[in-house]
Amino acid sequence: MSDDRLLDIWFHRPATPTGTAAARRLGIVVGGSLSEGLRVKLDQNTVVEGMAVGRYVVIHGQTGRRFFSIITDVALDAINPAIEKTPPDTSDRFITQVYQGITTFGRLKVTPMLVLDEGSQEPRPVKTVPAHFSAVYEASEEDVSRVFGAADEQHFYVGTPLDMDNVRVHLNLERFVQRSSGVFGKSGTGKTFLTRTLLAGIIKQGVAVNLVFDMHNEYGWESEGEHRYRVKGLRQLFPGQVSVMTLDPESSQRRGSKVDFIIRIGYDQIEPEDVELLAPLMGLTDVQVGALYFLRRRLGRAWIERLLAEGEAETEGPGELEQILDEGKLHGGTLGAIQRKLGMFRRFDFLQPHVSVDVVGKIMEYLDRGMHVILEFGRYGSTLEAYILVANYLTRRIHERYVQRKEAALGRKGEEPRPLVITIEEAHKFLDPAIARHTIFGTIARELRKYNVTLLIVDQRPSGIDEEVMSQIGTRVTALLDNEADIRAVFTGVSGAGELRQVLARLDTRQQALILGHAVPMPVVVQTRPYGPELYAEVGHEEGEDLQSKLERNVALLRGEQVEGFD
Amino acid sequence: MEIEVGRVIRSSTTRFTVGCRVLQPQVPVFGALVKARAGVEIYGLIYDVRMEDDPFLRQIATVDDLQPEYIEDQRHNRQVPIEVGVLVVGYRHNGEIYHWLPPQPPLSLDVIHTCGPEECVAFTRQFDYFRLVLESRDLPADELLAAHLRYAAQVRGKDKDSFLLDAGRELARLLAMDPIRLDALLGRIRP
Ligand SMILES: Nc1ncnc2c1ncn2[C@@H]1O[C@H](COP(=O)(O)OP(=O)(O)O)[C@@H](O)[C@H]1O
Ligand SMILES: [Mg+2]
Repeated sequence: MSDDRLLDIWFHRPATPTGTAAARRLGIVVGGSLSEGLRVKLDQNTVVEGMAVGRYVVIHGQTGRRFFSIITDVALDAINPAIEKTPPDTSDRFITQVYQGITTFGRLKVTPMLVLDEGSQEPRPVKTVPAHFSAVYEASEEDVSRVFGAADEQHFYVGTPLDMDNVRVHLNLERFVQRSSGVFGKSGTGKTFLTRTLLAGIIKQGVAVNLVFDMHNEYGWESEGEHRYRVKGLRQLFPGQVSVMTLDPESSQRRGSKVDFIIRIGYDQIEPEDVELLAPLMGLTDVQVGALYFLRRRLGRAWIERLLAEGEAETEGPGELEQILDEGKLHGGTLGAIQRKLGMFRRFDFLQPHVSVDVVGKIMEYLDRGMHVILEFGRYGSTLEAYILVANYLTRRIHERYVQRKEAALGRKGEEPRPLVITIEEAHKFLDPAIARHTIFGTIARELRKYNVTLLIVDQRPSGIDEEVMSQIGTRVTALLDNEADIRAVFTGVSGAGELRQVLARLDTRQQALILGHAVPMPVVVQTRPYGPELYAEVGHEEGEDLQSKLERNVALLRGEQVEGFD
Repeated sequence: MEIEVGRVIRSSTTRFTVGCRVLQPQVPVFGALVKARAGVEIYGLIYDVRMEDDPFLRQIATVDDLQPEYIEDQRHNRQVPIEVGVLVVGYRHNGEIYHWLPPQPPLSLDVIHTCGPEECVAFTRQFDYFRLVLESRDLPADELLAAHLRYAAQVRGKDKDSFLLDAGRELARLLAMDPIRLDALLGRIRP
């Protein structure tokens, strides 16, 4: 008999199955189903208040299988429901102790996620449930570590499970970029920080190139966290690998963000498709959208310039527009409305009548070299129309090129393009059910990775995203959401995860997230890792002081004071 | 230390009656654990102590000026014995204690002893016999069990409270559907 076992007997501890000497028994399975979760009756000595939604338990089945499960609900129960009407005298300690765990007890609802067969190290999706009265244990750190793997070329550390500071949850980034992914959560829950962490991982592991439509200028260069401490942008962490482009050079300069390229788009490059996505925002009716296509055909490439010019007071002579009106092809009111609404373009300085540089070509050039591109919107970030117009404009064209490349590669006429991840914020504005079917973003989400392009959507209102698109989102990283519809939306197309809603609604208001889907073996609630010095160091960034001391060391080396090599 | 209570005068599988000559300070007491040394040792709880009258007693009771010596004498040299009712709660066979009814009742005139503290502790280590007590009709079952548990707790010394807690929890399990009865019972054994 082992010493441990002797100790167990000495302390009246129940025998635990091998390898889990540290695991605490919580209770037994008393009912439930795979689809609705299992009901667990807590042991008399298990303190209900010590349980928490989102934590893991391991159920030891009868056949040596272990079922990894997640707590989705904690409840109080009593053998006799009448006790609610005539509760015992709780001022008496003896009476309270007698009742606790016997006539009244705690219950858990747990959802099995993975199963580990006896002797196997490879967890598989669960297809059955453990038998009645199977014992339920707290998951040990060892158990959880086994599920979430070790850090390697594909796996990137994103956080720690609740109450397990020594366990690291790793995301399989290769799988993460294979399909479109989403980061959701209320405002202020840490979406941006989390997204930045994920992007840092993608860059470090080199699983894809990124194109980030950086609405609030938070990804490229330094930005401010809470309490005014500054966090480094991706360009600082990955010098030489990340390039920053801007729509608003003054803003970038003011923030000290080094910019490689200034984005300018010519009126003559804009197509009706680029504007169509803005219809709900600009209040364009279907008739007006139809008219855009007509006007483009009639007026040619300069259609917007002409429309805007005619809108100005000093029109010279009867222009083509008057002719169109005369012909009766277009209603005067429609034309007037279009001109008025497009008039907003005049306020966008990045739009110019004519631009000689091919911005799309430029971005493609960077991406082809494996450079990640962050597009800062500067002051235009607060104008949703500008954000959507540019994101849509660029994405449509880049996607088109990817399609051509991919097809060429399939026909062995070229190289496969690098996988590309496009990050957009306020995604529901792009993926609204009314427009998702027609937009490039809807297309990308739906075609999965057919053309090596996927989305990383960051959004605080997932209920506004088209359901079909939502169901195609492979990995969902969700911080706190409190709107019922949003919570429901996050679970669109996730089978048997209804129970997880409870978990989601109870996350902390910051830096906690539920991750589920393609890139994790089972849903997991994490305390997201801090975006800060430790992460900087892990991705290879060296702080100024370090560089200085390194320099000194190398100088010393040159002088022959040490015999090691350079680094 | 085992004290003789008396001898069996009537018995059945579930209960027996012991005839006893005098009441001593400690014997017999309501709720005490006793045993009959038959082929197997049969355990029981004293649930009743009864003194029947006899014609002579009835006469004396009406006499005006009773001498104390006379009363003492009457009490010691009774014509009819004191009857002690015992509820069977288990037995011991080959050193093993069972909390269910024995195969055979004690025989008439078998001697009944009280159980000493060690034996009492051994018998009350498990609580399976609670049901035999709680389900008995026409005897004060709850009072009996409470008195017995208080006694069994007493002999445990410093482990008294944890014993009562364990016993209380077993009662809670058995009487979960009858909270009023449970409450009353717990109130009687509360340390
Ligand atoms: N992983 C993290 N590391 C450090 N601070 C964080 C992290 N996540 C969130 N925070 C803090 O929370 C604040 C809000 O996060 P942010 O990402 O801007 O929220 P959101 O984009 O959802 O509105 C940040 O300013 C920062 O102080
Ligand atoms: Mg944000």
